[in-house]
Amino acid sequence: MTACSRPVALETLVAWWTGEIASDEAARVEEHLFACDACAAVSERFARLAAGLREHLPPIMSSAQRDRLLARGTRMRLTHVDAGVEASAFFGPDVDLLVHVLRADLFRAQRVDVEIVIPEWPQPLLCEAVPFDAEAGEILVCCQRHFEHMSPTDPVFRVHAVESGQRRRIGEYLVRHIWR
Amino acid sequence: MGCRSPHDVVREDTVVQSDDERAFCEKFAGRIHAYGLRHLRDGACAQDLVQHVLLAVLQALRAGSVEDLARVDAYVLGTCRNAVMDMRRGEARQRRVAQQSSAGLPESYEPSLPRVDRTRLEDCLRGLEARERAVVLATFLEDRDADEIGRTLNVSAGNVRVIRHRAIAHLLGCVEGEVS
Repeated sequence: MTACSRPVALETLVAWWTGEIASDEAARVEEHLFACDACAAVSERFARLAAGLREHLPPIMSSAQRDRLLARGTRMRLTHVDAGVEASAFFGPDVDLLVHVLRADLFRAQRVDVEIVIPEWPQPLLCEAVPFDAEAGEILVCCQRHFEHMSPTDPVFRVHAVESGQRRRIGEYLVRHIWR
Repeated sequence: MGCRSPHDVVREDTVVQSDDERAFCEKFAGRIHAYGLRHLRDGACAQDLVQHVLLAVLQALRAGSVEDLARVDAYVLGTCRNAVMDMRRGEARQRRVAQQSSAGLPESYEPSLPRVDRTRLEDCLRGLEARERAVVLATFLEDRDADEIGRTLNVSAGNVRVIRHRAIAHLLGCVEGEVS
């Protein structure tokens, strides 16, 4: 493959993808990506990653993503969980996904962070600025079947909200998983 | 990449033989797919676009109606733009066209559109800093721009772009096995 004398920078590629460049520049980028083998290869790698990210099921999902999955026929079992009250969820063969609905007063929250604590992990997995439904007071935790093999211990979800610039601890949520 | 130039692919008499058509398809399938993912934001629609555009351009080449063979890449891009507009206007109709169109592609040709390994992508995302992960997921999963993400995370849009660029560069290497 011939090297490109004026390669499209990764920043430009990302800006093209996110719609953050002017339409005339976007048109020039597209013309180059169709004409240049080297830049097309980079663009294709990036597109594969972007497509993978779009299909990715994050640990905390938005209600819009839940609705998209439901529309596609994904079978979910919803478990409502309150802070400090242990819940259990059965991952049977009749479901594709467990969704733990963490309930909290989020009416004044500007932002919600969730730490996923698994004892076997060196440190909690911090999920910053996760999607949440302020009116319904819900955070949707998405649990996939292959998580069964990630840890023998059930995770604890530590929830914090930022309200008027102040970080407030909402509580800890525990769901016992029963796998089949 | 090993692709031949359009000059090689399109012979003087404009009769494109099956091997040449296959080479042409292999050269452009990934570019069309990347374009489709960018503009249609849907993997299935992007695949339909690949089928539709490849067939439309091959038919034009067979009919000798591509005026400037040296700029066949521009012709492919123009066909993509028109097809995306058509698909936005009438998705169902275009999908039927795409299903029919695969019959006109070179014999036994199926566009090879590799995907990222989902489990590996999950691991790679866990390897990011919390803020990088938040920015990447907000960008690609929720289609939020740098300004909006910056407001939520209380950082500037410029800072979001820097974080995003660093995270994407890391993910590209990680999903392809360069970085663990």
